Amino acid sequence: MNAYELEDIAHGYDGQTVLTIEDWTAEEGTVSGVVGPNGSGKSTLLSLLGFVTSPTQGKIRFKGRPAEPFSDIVRGKVAMLPQDAFLLKRSVYSNVAYGLKIKKQNSGIKTRVHEALDMVGLDPGTFARRPWFALSGGESRRVALAARLALQPEVLLLDEPTASVDAASAQMIKAAALHARQQWGTTLIVTSHDTEWLADISDNLLHLFRGCMLGNGRQTLIFGPWTGNGSGMLCRAFPQGQVLEASGHPPDPQNAVAAIEARQMRLYLTADEVAPYHRRLKGILLRLSYEQSTRLTSAAVLVGGMIFNVYLPEAGTDNRRFHPGTEVWVGYDPHSVAWF
Amino acid sequence: MEYLYQGLIQAFRLLFTGDPETYSAVAATVKAASFSMAASLTLGIPAGFALGHFQFPGRRQVRLVVDTCLALPTVFVGLVVYAMISRQGPMGDMGLLFSIPGIAMGQTLLALPVVTALSATAIESMDANLRVSLITLGANRRQLLLTSLWEVRHGILAAGLTAYGRVLTEVGISMMVGGNIKWHSRTITTAIALETGKGMFATGIALGLVLLLIAFSVTLPASLLRKK
Repeated sequence: MNAYELEDIAHGYDGQTVLTIEDWTAEEGTVSGVVGPNGSGKSTLLSLLGFVTSPTQGKIRFKGRPAEPFSDIVRGKVAMLPQDAFLLKRSVYSNVAYGLKIKKQNSGIKTRVHEALDMVGLDPGTFARRPWFALSGGESRRVALAARLALQPEVLLLDEPTASVDAASAQMIKAAALHARQQWGTTLIVTSHDTEWLADISDNLLHLFRGCMLGNGRQTLIFGPWTGNGSGMLCRAFPQGQVLEASGHPPDPQNAVAAIEARQMRLYLTADEVAPYHRRLKGILLRLSYEQSTRLTSAAVLVGGMIFNVYLPEAGTDNRRFHPGTEVWVGYDPHSVAWF
Repeated sequence: MEYLYQGLIQAFRLLFTGDPETYSAVAATVKAASFSMAASLTLGIPAGFALGHFQFPGRRQVRLVVDTCLALPTVFVGLVVYAMISRQGPMGDMGLLFSIPGIAMGQTLLALPVVTALSATAIESMDANLRVSLITLGANRRQLLLTSLWEVRHGILAAGLTAYGRVLTEVGISMMVGGNIKWHSRTITTAIALETGKGMFATGIALGLVLLLIAFSVTLPASLLRKK
């Protein structure tokens, strides 16, 4: 069953649309990662999914039923950890217990609060009585997450959960979120700039840019300036005389941004191997990482100061030839470019 | 300076000997202030929340009016209330003139803008993430309102104490609406004005100190609450 179904959604502030989503679903119990640069609409999407605000246009269905802020079907079931988590001016215990108290779930409240604190790596004996002002930034964030985990939510929305926290706190937060999914089958929707982590844990990766969905999976964004080459292609020059060619007719070619899905590109070791239908760019292979969700190895390739995200050829191909630091060729289809 | 010293001595004498005239003025003051504060807090806090929290057409204009009313002269309020509750006034039949409820009515008009404006300011200064956090922790609209108010309790408390200070120390309304009637509607402030007029400075200072004691008895628990 789908936890969320979004249809023809548009949302904006002061008459300006900042997010448009034609169609998107998230299955129950899955992990969805949302990536995109600042201002791409990630936090707006999460506030809509958290039913903090209603979309300007369109409907959001939660478990097949239309829902809106304060609906009984979402209250206490959808929990969100905002980017700037707010703690009530109370003790840690009272903060974590707040959601349970307002739901009148008073039986076993102490156990659940202590369990939630344990999950985020905070010792209840040490932290439960502490006032909100005696916590570090990372501890505050963990307490805020514990308050959500105590509710055992059906959906947990995390907006940049590891931003501005130390490595230890980030690790605890990541582990706690995944533990919630494992223990209660919680649907997770996470925004983060930590693309590697998101790609690793997500069942699907949603890429947002300028309030629009670019599609699923890793993307490479190529910013202008673009120039025409006289044969209907737009060109972006890179240092050392390399040129990326792309077909299409963006509304503002000079300032357009091109997006190429990682799946649409391929990595080659020599120029001779590049498929005839592919254009090629030479770069340095920076790093390789294995994605558990897609079972593919992704590569980050530096081409003229810009990083391209490319998947290595699938199983059956000898991928052991690719080592970080070696010179590689990125092959791409100039017709598979999306424009924004 | 002798009369100041005498005033201090007399203040304790009036209080500890249970002087009936003084206690009558204290009772009138406390009654009027309690009624007016109860009414202004009941009306002013929700109004302040609405003004500080919601966006609606004309909000800025309403805020301007409320802020202007912070400087309401007490004699003007006294005049308006007098006109309303005097025999010829629309509320003349209610018999409120020269009574404690009449004074309380005027004091409510005086305190209401203070409570409303300062509560609205407290709500406006509230962290925007509080609302998001409460909604996503499962709060309904009523819980959102109550928890938000609790989070800005220091600001609300300051609003209440400021209004209480204005109510307790005003003379204009008590004099015009209450009539300064001995054993009936004479408050401490009107008694001070009367005693000073008679040249009884020591009694005036004694009553002033009594007024300070009353103020202290309210601000002390408020101060303790602030620490929590």
